[in-house]
Amino acid sequence: MIPPEAYAAAVACLPSMTPVRLGQLIAEHGVGEELWRAAEGSVHSQAVGRWRKKFADVDARLAAQTSAHQPGDVWERCWSAGIDVLVRGAADFPECLAADREPAHVLFVRGSLNVLSSRRVAIVGTRNATENGRRFATRLGGELADAGVCVVSGLARGIDAAAHRGAVRSVAGRGPAAVVGSGPDRVFPRENAGLWELVAETGVLISEYGPGVEPVAHHFPARNRIIAALSELVVVVESRETGGSLLTVNEAIKRNVDVLAVPGSPLDRASSGTNRIIADGARPVLETSDVLIALDLDTRRQGTLSFDPRPIPAAQDQVLLDMFNGDPLSLDEIVARAGRVLPEVAMGLGRLENAGWLRNDGGWLIPLRQAL
Amino acid sequence: MLAAIASANLLGSSGNGVVVEVHVGAGLPGFSIVGLPDESCREARDRVRAAILSSGLTWPNKRVTVNLAPAGLRKSGVGLDLPLAVGVLVACEAISLSAVEGLGFVGELGLDGSIRPVVGVAPMVASMPEVDVVVPRANVGEALVATSRSVRCVASLKELMDVLVEGHPWPPLPRADDDVDDDPLPDLADVRGQPVAVEALTIAAAGRHHVMFVGPPGAGKTMLAQRLAGLLPPLSRKASLEATMIHSAAGRLIGGSRPLIRNPPFRAPHHTASLIAMVGGGSSSIRPGEISLAHGGVLFLDELGEFSPSVLDGLRQPLEERVVRLSRAHSHIEMPADFLLIGATNPCPCGGGRGEGGCACIESTKARYLRRLSGPLLDRFDLRVTVHRPGIDALMDSGGGEPSARVAGRVQMARQRALDRGYGLNGELPIARLDDAAPLSTAARAMLRSELERGRLSGRGLHRIRRVARTIADLNEGGDLVEVEHVQTALMLRSEVDHPRIEVGV
Repeated sequence: MIPPEAYAAAVACLPSMTPVRLGQLIAEHGVGEELWRAAEGSVHSQAVGRWRKKFADVDARLAAQTSAHQPGDVWERCWSAGIDVLVRGAADFPECLAADREPAHVLFVRGSLNVLSSRRVAIVGTRNATENGRRFATRLGGELADAGVCVVSGLARGIDAAAHRGAVRSVAGRGPAAVVGSGPDRVFPRENAGLWELVAETGVLISEYGPGVEPVAHHFPARNRIIAALSELVVVVESRETGGSLLTVNEAIKRNVDVLAVPGSPLDRASSGTNRIIADGARPVLETSDVLIALDLDTRRQGTLSFDPRPIPAAQDQVLLDMFNGDPLSLDEIVARAGRVLPEVAMGLGRLENAGWLRNDGGWLIPLRQAL
Repeated sequence: MLAAIASANLLGSSGNGVVVEVHVGAGLPGFSIVGLPDESCREARDRVRAAILSSGLTWPNKRVTVNLAPAGLRKSGVGLDLPLAVGVLVACEAISLSAVEGLGFVGELGLDGSIRPVVGVAPMVASMPEVDVVVPRANVGEALVATSRSVRCVASLKELMDVLVEGHPWPPLPRADDDVDDDPLPDLADVRGQPVAVEALTIAAAGRHHVMFVGPPGAGKTMLAQRLAGLLPPLSRKASLEATMIHSAAGRLIGGSRPLIRNPPFRAPHHTASLIAMVGGGSSSIRPGEISLAHGGVLFLDELGEFSPSVLDGLRQPLEERVVRLSRAHSHIEMPADFLLIGATNPCPCGGGRGEGGCACIESTKARYLRRLSGPLLDRFDLRVTVHRPGIDALMDSGGGEPSARVAGRVQMARQRALDRGYGLNGELPIARLDDAAPLSTAARAMLRSELERGRLSGRGLHRIRRVARTIADLNEGGDLVEVEHVQTALMLRSEVDHPRIEVGV
């Protein structure tokens, strides 16, 4: 025997289904077996009739897709992958998504939705992030989780993954929520496989797409609307001026969700989008407490690092360190400017790197402002 | 009537003595060649007949049988035309047998009886040490390098007949203009603002370490590589002869006035080069490839990642053994291939930008790009140096760097120090000899131990670092012990390029 949600889950898995179409079908037929029959074509449906006027091949497509996604099979796959199916109207369906202007109708969930009962902040940003951007996102994610805030993001490359990485590292903190654009059992991108599991263990993994559904480009804007709908605040860490994270910002603005952004250098392409948002009136985020204040949370428990644990470099090494002036330098430039022989300079740089003042990144030596 | 004429055939970069036996006897008029000739050899029939007729001689109206001994070995090329013609003329008694005694012949014939140059004269002549050789005019230079016997040259079959039959003196050899200086090699003084890359070249030349340059387009990778050959000492007599044989076999010395290769060669094949072009080979005649042409010198592979993987993997065995062994159904050939490898690659498909955020490639694209260089090949590079576009100040600076001649002097001294230890150059130090040749100071040992413990160095990497550190110590006139600063410098010059960090899990 299969429960009524299985029919809704199977219909939600059909590649031709969008949130809007799914809404129309559910409004007409409910979530039980009739919904499936309507999608299959064995029960007359006004919604399908309307689509037929636009697309002549609707019936053929639905017939092919429904035969490949039988409710019994879909239910079985959800069961074996540990995926819960929630239908809009059920008691535990997240209220903010049910009441949204573009509501979700069926959710596939791994993990515990309890994490959503706390304060929720989205951290989003570019997939092509800089090392500094990723580091800041990780710190922000970790400290927000420590403060009991649920970090919402999309588990994409770059900033998303970094924020989640910080949140899952938090020992006593709140688990994160991830909204993904593929089936909850279909890891994308591959490199986040470990993180993907950890988010499901410590927090919750939410998707509108059923088991085995591939990440398709048009899923991601729809995914972004859920991130915006779930969150009380959206923090953009790094974004180019045409970045996909700006779509999330637009969704947030439509829903009256506050947007904050992390500023960067005006010359830095990776921060051009976030700087634009700030110029348009978003509040800047310089440290975690800026986000907590925006949430009206107590920031006093936040300890800040009051001393630098790194050993003070010797005089001749300090000369090398002073040359950086905060910017990365190549080994060539350092040797040329120092006017000393390579072994001597190499020794100095080696000592600075070991003490945590520098980082060697593919031939660039990058000064570090804080201890790692 | 029977005649046997000494000649030679080219196989890879070495010659094989061949005796051309010609029998002219009764039977139906005809002309056949036996002894495994290939197509170019078999066609000699028509060339030889035409050449003899157009030189005003008569073709015997008899049965002509030619055997190329040893008959079991495949023959290829056109160098056997001349001995064949001489053999026919001796066999039909147009030339007396005594006139060709003690002579060997190599050369291609034109239909008008002219004698044309052939490739590989140096190794072919070297395989005929017991006879004086007659070679085409343009090949005289190569022949002189390869033999201690006399070298004769004639321009045509007619001229040869004048000498052998009429008793004219041999025509004079073309004059070798020994005072022509080699083209000046590119000088290191032209390099501006890249002291680390220059130091890496110096270390490479001194210790015979393979170098890889990683850097964006325009950073001067090619310019640097071209200057490495100028830092190497001139070739030894043996290496010089080997290189000459190879270049002769590749047909690069024809008509040259100074065929002996004394300076280390510099070869920079394009990245579309095929496996055969790179390691040598070929269907009918086996020719030396780029790695053999670079013997004794430098092989520069620009855009390393764009070479086909099979070509790069083909380099691994020669890099290790310094000869390339080619096996074919009928022959097994060894050609020397002792070269210093310089690779150059971009850090990522977009070429990379300054520091962070300048590159538009995502990590996985970068990883995929660099993954094309197989790990084992990457591991052969003792020095992996990141080069950057020099700053504007450095480019506009009028003062040049250290000139090649001075650096070459330092290189020579460091090489001598290494050779005095008796284990060869540092790049070739066997692992078992590392402790004798490159003992570490206590601090240096501690530093390497900590690198190993932090997982930044592998076992194989450790040996390479120790060899490079030895060379750095030799260049800086260090003592017997390798000090900590030498190790630190070696570590700085071996940046990780193979596997960009991709964080997985937590």
